[in-house]
Amino acid sequence: MSSQKKPVGVVPLGEVPEIALKVIAAHISGYYKLSVQILPPLEHPEYAFDERRFQYNAGIILKAFESMRFKDYDKIIGVLNPDLFIPIFTHVFGEAKQGGKFALVSLFRLGKNPDGSPSPSSLIYERVAKVALHELGHLFNLLHCQEKRCLMHFSGDIQDLDETPINLCRYCSTFLKDRLLRQSDNEESLKKLDKIPLNLLGSKERFRQ
Amino acid sequence: MDEKMSIMVVDDEEIVRESLFHWFKKYGHVVETASSGFEALDKLAKYPFQLLFVDIKMPEMDGIELLEKVKTEYPDTIVIIITAYGSTESAVKAMRIGASDYLLKPFKPDQLPLVMERISHQKKLLFEHNYLKGRLEKITRFDNIIGQSPPMEDIFNLIPEVAQSDSSILLIGETGTGKELVAKAIHAKSRRAHLPFIALNCGALPDTLLESELFGHQKGVFTGATHARKGFLEVVSGGTLFLDEIGEISPKMQINLLRVLEEKKITSIGSREPVDVDFRLISATSQDLGKGITDGSFREDFFYRINVIMIDIPPLKKRKEDIPLLIQHFLEKYGHETTKQVDRVTSDAMELLKRYDWPGNVRELENAVERAVVLSQSRTLGIKDFAFLRSSPVPLSRPLSLQEVEKQHIQQILEEYDWNVTQASKALEINRVTLHKKIKRFNLERRD
Repeated sequence: MSSQKKPVGVVPLGEVPEIALKVIAAHISGYYKLSVQILPPLEHPEYAFDERRFQYNAGIILKAFESMRFKDYDKIIGVLNPDLFIPIFTHVFGEAKQGGKFALVSLFRLGKNPDGSPSPSSLIYERVAKVALHELGHLFNLLHCQEKRCLMHFSGDIQDLDETPINLCRYCSTFLKDRLLRQSDNEESLKKLDKIPLNLLGSKERFRQ
Repeated sequence: MDEKMSIMVVDDEEIVRESLFHWFKKYGHVVETASSGFEALDKLAKYPFQLLFVDIKMPEMDGIELLEKVKTEYPDTIVIIITAYGSTESAVKAMRIGASDYLLKPFKPDQLPLVMERISHQKKLLFEHNYLKGRLEKITRFDNIIGQSPPMEDIFNLIPEVAQSDSSILLIGETGTGKELVAKAIHAKSRRAHLPFIALNCGALPDTLLESELFGHQKGVFTGATHARKGFLEVVSGGTLFLDEIGEISPKMQINLLRVLEEKKITSIGSREPVDVDFRLISATSQDLGKGITDGSFREDFFYRINVIMIDIPPLKKRKEDIPLLIQHFLEKYGHETTKQVDRVTSDAMELLKRYDWPGNVRELENAVERAVVLSQSRTLGIKDFAFLRSSPVPLSRPLSLQEVEKQHIQQILEEYDWNVTQASKALEINRVTLHKKIKRFNLERRD
């Protein structure tokens, strides 16, 4: 799965423990075999704060990402401390648009066990990695999987998340490999396209579309 | 939730529509959104969404009103009510009208997958129900003959009984009632089922050709007889011969056939060697053969020979209770053949179809449904889709006045042009102002 050219960017929003960013980067590199870069932090997303819910609206942050320049990165994962929500749900651990470029991971609810007791840091980092890999899966167009023993199975609460494995099932794994392979083929084709003189192609841009 | 569903999210808040849209996309469902009840109904008329998520509080048409309309028009569509302002009254009301669930926004993230799982289970039960209904329907169908009216049930009971014997059968019934289907069903239930079934329309062939088709001919017996050919009476060997429009055959041919039925032997044209034949004869007619016997055009002895068992197939106007069943069957048939999503007929249109006299019987009904399905732009057929039927003459209980005829004609033209006054006035060759005046004077209104 390593043929992708542009790296995945992991970007902190506001103050985020560096170890969390490193864990995410290491897992993306280790499990998906993609190159990863940790980017300098962005400002805390105060603009997405919802006063009625005392939470941060994930949709607004993702929209803000779209206006930022991340052209050197294939996918961007934003990591932040505050609690995230989308309008229909009370909260989310992470959010990504299916097949999109940007995803978010919130650390807010990952530090406690279902009974409210604090979780050991090893477990917290495992959860952080799972949420990041799951959301990145959506960016590569993986759907929620029916297989409970798959990382792409939906986790509604922390217990679900702990029961969900960090690996993809055979089906999702094949799908992701195929996706990355096709993406790299496209990039190769575009690269070859760049070497052809413009007058032979007419509009190169139009051809790309 | 293994099964992919077609879902429509109806909410006036864009942010909610988007959230649910992207959420369902993550499961691979087909998702559509609508910002109002009217838009939802419009989309539902074009595509059979299986599941609707409907917000209660919407301007113009609220979620409860939309739920009522959906459950009336499309009872199989599952509706889930979502609201940020829940109350026991509205929840009870929604569930009473037919909502499958009532959810308070925002939901806990694990709540929606559970609801979807329950819906998936509900859909499976619905599928099972429809499957069983389909099996039940087979009881109202007999080898492609459809009906649940008492006369059709009598025929269904009669078919297996008469199929066991070898006696000649005469089917009488108007054109388009399904005489050939009954003949095929008898053949299929008989001991000859594995042998040929040959159908011949006697009315479509001139006498000489019919003779050659039935008895066969030797090479060179007439111009064009370049080689010898076996007749159907020989080819059918052991099977069933179905002679439609038997009343059309000439007295000479009646004698020839009578001899075959008595002797079980035929001699092909130009031959002197008789050949043994074995077949079961089923004849059919839409004529009054008794009248033919009286005026001498039909031989009485031949009539009794072909009429050992008589089955009278009723015209469609005498079994109108079968019309909805037939329409449903043809909708499924042509919906499948044309891959168009047309699966319903409005109650007004159904009334019209039941009132209509169907002079061409089931065949005419089938053609009417096929035409309507092919031309329909919506998944529901309404009165205007069957407007062409109203031009057929329907017997009147009393003579109409000139004014009544004018009123009916204007109404019909308006329906045909979907109440486009400009086009209707052109068709009527009057100007638009005159047409508007007449609409007002006759108090005309759109029917559908």
